[in-house]
Amino acid sequence: MAQDAKFEAKGRKFDVVGSRPIRPDGIDKVTGRARFGADMTMPGQLYGKVLRSPHPHAMIKSIDVSAAEALPGVKAVITSKDLPDLSGGDQGMKDNLINTLARDRVLYDGHAVAAVAAISNSIALKALKLIKVTYEALPHVTDVDEAMKDGAPLVNGGAITSGMEPAPTKKSNIIARHQFGHGDIAKGFAEADIVVERSFTTEATHQGYIEPHACVASINADGFGDIWVSTQGHYNVRTTCSALLGLDSAKLRVTASEIGGGFGGKTVTNIEPLALALSRKSNRPVKMVMSREEVFRGTGPTASSSIWTKIGAKKDGRITAAHSIIKFQGGPFGGSLVDMGAMAAFACYDLPNVKTEGYDVLCNRPRLAAYRAPSAPMVTFATESVVQEICDRLGLDSASMRIMNAAKEGTKSSYGPTYGPIGIRATLEAAKNHPHYSAPIAPGKHRGRGMACGFWFNFGGNTSVSMGLNGDGTVALSYGNPDIGGTRASLSMMAAEELGIPYEKVRCVIADTATLGHNDITDGSRVTFAAGLATIEAARDAIKKMCARAAKTWGIAEDAVVWEKGHAKPAGSNAGKFEPLSLKQIVAASGNTGGPIAGHYEVFADGAGVSFGTHIADVEVDVETGKVTVLRYTVFQDAGKAIHPAYVEGQYQGGAAQGIGWALNEEYIYGKDGRLQNAGFLDYRIPVCSDLPMIEAVILEIPNPGHPYGVRGVGETPIVPPLGAMANAIAAATGVRMGSIPMSPPRLLKAIEEKA
Amino acid sequence: MAATRDYVVFLLNGERHEVPRSVPPTRTLLEYLREDLGLKGTKEGCNEGDCGACTVVVMEPEQRSTLAVNACILLVPMLDGKSVTTVDGLFGPSGELHPCQQAMLECHGSQCGFCTPGFVMSLFAMYQDVMEYHDGKPPTKKWINTVLAGNLCRCTGYGSIVAAAERMFALPRPEWDVSRQAVNEFRAIGLRSKASLAVKNANGQFYAPLALVELIELRRIQPDSIILGGATDVCLWANKQLRPLPILISTARVGELQQFSHGVGRMRIGAAVTYEAAWSTLEMVWPNLGELIRRLGSEQVRNSGTIGGNIANGSPIGDMPPALMALGSTLVLNGPEGQRRMPLEEFFLAYGKQDRKPGEFVEAVEVPSHETGDRRLRCYKISKRFDQDISAVLGCFYLHIDNGVVTSARIAFGGMAGIPNRAKAVEAALEGKPWTMATVEAALPKFEEDFQPLSDARASKEYRMLTAKNLLVRYFHEMTSDVQTRLVGDGERIIAEVMA
Repeated sequence: MAQDAKFEAKGRKFDVVGSRPIRPDGIDKVTGRARFGADMTMPGQLYGKVLRSPHPHAMIKSIDVSAAEALPGVKAVITSKDLPDLSGGDQGMKDNLINTLARDRVLYDGHAVAAVAAISNSIALKALKLIKVTYEALPHVTDVDEAMKDGAPLVNGGAITSGMEPAPTKKSNIIARHQFGHGDIAKGFAEADIVVERSFTTEATHQGYIEPHACVASINADGFGDIWVSTQGHYNVRTTCSALLGLDSAKLRVTASEIGGGFGGKTVTNIEPLALALSRKSNRPVKMVMSREEVFRGTGPTASSSIWTKIGAKKDGRITAAHSIIKFQGGPFGGSLVDMGAMAAFACYDLPNVKTEGYDVLCNRPRLAAYRAPSAPMVTFATESVVQEICDRLGLDSASMRIMNAAKEGTKSSYGPTYGPIGIRATLEAAKNHPHYSAPIAPGKHRGRGMACGFWFNFGGNTSVSMGLNGDGTVALSYGNPDIGGTRASLSMMAAEELGIPYEKVRCVIADTATLGHNDITDGSRVTFAAGLATIEAARDAIKKMCARAAKTWGIAEDAVVWEKGHAKPAGSNAGKFEPLSLKQIVAASGNTGGPIAGHYEVFADGAGVSFGTHIADVEVDVETGKVTVLRYTVFQDAGKAIHPAYVEGQYQGGAAQGIGWALNEEYIYGKDGRLQNAGFLDYRIPVCSDLPMIEAVILEIPNPGHPYGVRGVGETPIVPPLGAMANAIAAATGVRMGSIPMSPPRLLKAIEEKA
Repeated sequence: MAATRDYVVFLLNGERHEVPRSVPPTRTLLEYLREDLGLKGTKEGCNEGDCGACTVVVMEPEQRSTLAVNACILLVPMLDGKSVTTVDGLFGPSGELHPCQQAMLECHGSQCGFCTPGFVMSLFAMYQDVMEYHDGKPPTKKWINTVLAGNLCRCTGYGSIVAAAERMFALPRPEWDVSRQAVNEFRAIGLRSKASLAVKNANGQFYAPLALVELIELRRIQPDSIILGGATDVCLWANKQLRPLPILISTARVGELQQFSHGVGRMRIGAAVTYEAAWSTLEMVWPNLGELIRRLGSEQVRNSGTIGGNIANGSPIGDMPPALMALGSTLVLNGPEGQRRMPLEEFFLAYGKQDRKPGEFVEAVEVPSHETGDRRLRCYKISKRFDQDISAVLGCFYLHIDNGVVTSARIAFGGMAGIPNRAKAVEAALEGKPWTMATVEAALPKFEEDFQPLSDARASKEYRMLTAKNLLVRYFHEMTSDVQTRLVGDGERIIAEVMA
């Protein structure tokens, strides 16, 4: 893969990086002082609430808000009329507008139709009941396979499929087709000794962050505004809101609150434009907090999917060809990220002949948002199920067969690029050599072990970091990404490492949109990589400036000064004999040497290193009730370089836990009426403590050439293998190969009964 | 009759707090803390008692335990006379962290931090419980799992939080103790929780009478009033359904309803007895019923919820009614027209409809009990998730076998119909027959006479019928061999492991 060779830390002994200090935001969090989205109050604020559609698909014939407006305490009611279409041909922004507030039609159960601001929550809720909406129901479709059939109701009018040669002449729900691969799969399958093809489905899941969406917005008559919001990307909130409301970006300052989980679900706007519009109309600040039911009905979910996968192999296990057709339910606008699924499906393997086709399909379900390695868990479930079935039928060792086929440096990936140094083989070998793999499974009935691999691209992108140096020897580090996985700690560590000062001397803050240049969203496992890289470079910028000040103080050339262990020193005896100057000394004296000292770095970080992991799961199945118990679980993953190993382990464990929840229990359940049946934690069951064993995390470090310390993003890959690992473990335990996720007790029991 | 107080007063983070009289009686503690008092440490994640982010710790001076409860499903007047500790008040005199907070920090148990205050308060309650009543002996993993099952975390996978739960007991016990300070404060200000409470304002009325006669009289005057036990369900009517609840009457202080007695041949559980209060005794008598209670709701829900409330609200599932029906329980109702008794199963008429006359309320349930350690009762709770989940099917079996013959069979199910009910056809097919697999197999089709289950988001009708049958088979295997399954649990209350 073409990457700048930035990695330079080979053999470097780190002082701070690799240690496990307590996070700087830790005490705030354990004492309840950390301020999340709903914890901010603006003077005079109103409370905003959203009216949502009970229909999956309907025309809006009329909306009468007069009774709501007349209710004492109501200060503003808005409908789509209050958000004129300013998208100017930008389809993405138009979809955003429609999703924010339905226009002529509602597209899913939970679609926002109107919003109210009132002096209390209870008055706002009462006002919602007074809004009269007349709907004319339209036929709906919520299942991807149904939506692809001829004669299916066209969602949002349907679309001419993009990516088809020749382009279709008729509209359908297939909004886009994607294809990747190389070689000749027909030839590859002809060469195979064994060919296995299977169909799979996965249900939609929600990111399930515990903090509901929340914001407080205020906008003045002159267009100056502020939003305090729980988001993964406050710059994106600014971009979207200013476009939807016709504001100057510079006038809208967005401050990211502490974020109570996002996992991709808080990469998009939902209530933020509504809060601003309500504030504009009422001329008061407006606070909006979603209920849990709104979170489920109106935000987030992943695509549901229907996947067909075919793999051929020689008797020794060498894969000769792989083909997958992947259909993703893409919500009412598309954008299911099925292209990423089609790219990721076979990314773990070195394949001579491979083809993937992805279809993005419109359905009457909520607009989708990314969920941790979006698309990869579903396609990997299909791939790893078939790979395991081939292993089993050929009587091969699961790890050895995968090692034989694993991609390596120089492999042309199934999605195009040629890999640089990567860790798939290393994670497989680590798994094979680990006691979990060699130990016999603890004795018991209906127990089994499964393995699966997974891949994620990882991203970099636009990043801007600033570092102010203080006269007492401390450093104020500003970056522009909400801290979702401990990045305040990891960036502080990298700054301390580079500057040669203790970790405790760095205070890391997330700057608002008025303070730094643009920063992309906290997504794609990008922050420790990209903001880390920028932090290191900003520190080097500051060091260069400090060395220049020392040179000036000493009256020697700038290039005769070096920086070592937090001090400027003469480069050698030829440079002169001077006592080293500490950061503190240099900055304290900076008023006499040219003024304040700060380091900056702005970059489009394009050297993100791809990431691979391998998981092993041991399960027990209760064959009379279909209940699965996870007995043991181990994650092996390449971190490139683990800056804070405890947080890397935390990502591995947390991602695996989400994947296990998805594999076993979590699902959006739609009734025939097109309405979501389980919009709450009561019936959307995420794992609790007793559902999970202590998930063991094994960190491997294969440096990423694109980062000075070798960092790779680690946050997303851990959710990729669990669906496949759990399915393979259940197959080993019961002889039943599940083609559908979740493998909940009712589904699994049915499959066991059908086999018996 | 004791003096009646017309305002609500409790200790909040160790200080006397009088609730303004304008606060609606249906205001939840969570709304009150966050919106009215600006105490934002306690978080709202679901507002329906499922996530535990709003966990606070409640104490009563006369009770022996510190109880973790969900602030989102508690109404402010229910706190009257109690001590409430929130995360905002959990610190030492110089701002020191409590060991539960220190351990969460050291073990990296907090990632995004939103669920953390709830976990901290659950850990704090466990810490106090262990230190005060269990000689500081650290809890088992299973106990930790049980205590934490009511707190959702989406970031960590829980490993680091479990590590913190273990670590906190290795840290020095602080000399300061907010809950003990609260007890002292109680005494100092002479706050009596045993006053009769009658709070009325423009937004509603809330009564907490002390005596049964008072309760009967209130119900005579206000037959449409809503009876509150632990309010774990009623709060959802207010929170989620926005139902007006103009008149609320709490059973929590009615002396007769709080009584829990275990005499010869009969156990009497007053309607206001919480799961938590009844748990140890029920488990001692019927070990498997203890495991059912361990899996019912969460620690926070068991600390608030009452067995009487679980019966009175007529849930189609239970979880307690099927178990109590299998044991042959009698329901005691009371009201303006006097006391009535009936077999528990006769109380449930149809979905959402119970045999209750105007003004009547559940006074107690009486359960025949003859021996301790009676393992013939098996309660199989089938849910998607093992702990803290609503049952898809709940099957309770209580068979007596004499000389290889079934002399009596009582089988009751929740989740198989609109009401919890007995499987009388199955019972009849077993009674008087030899206790053999052939008898069991012959009885299985009878389930279809007893039940026509429905499909919903929790399970299909086919799944419900199949598991119901499988559970009878399982009961047979468990009773006739040493095979025990996880559904039965270890038959010992988790806490007992620590007390031993």
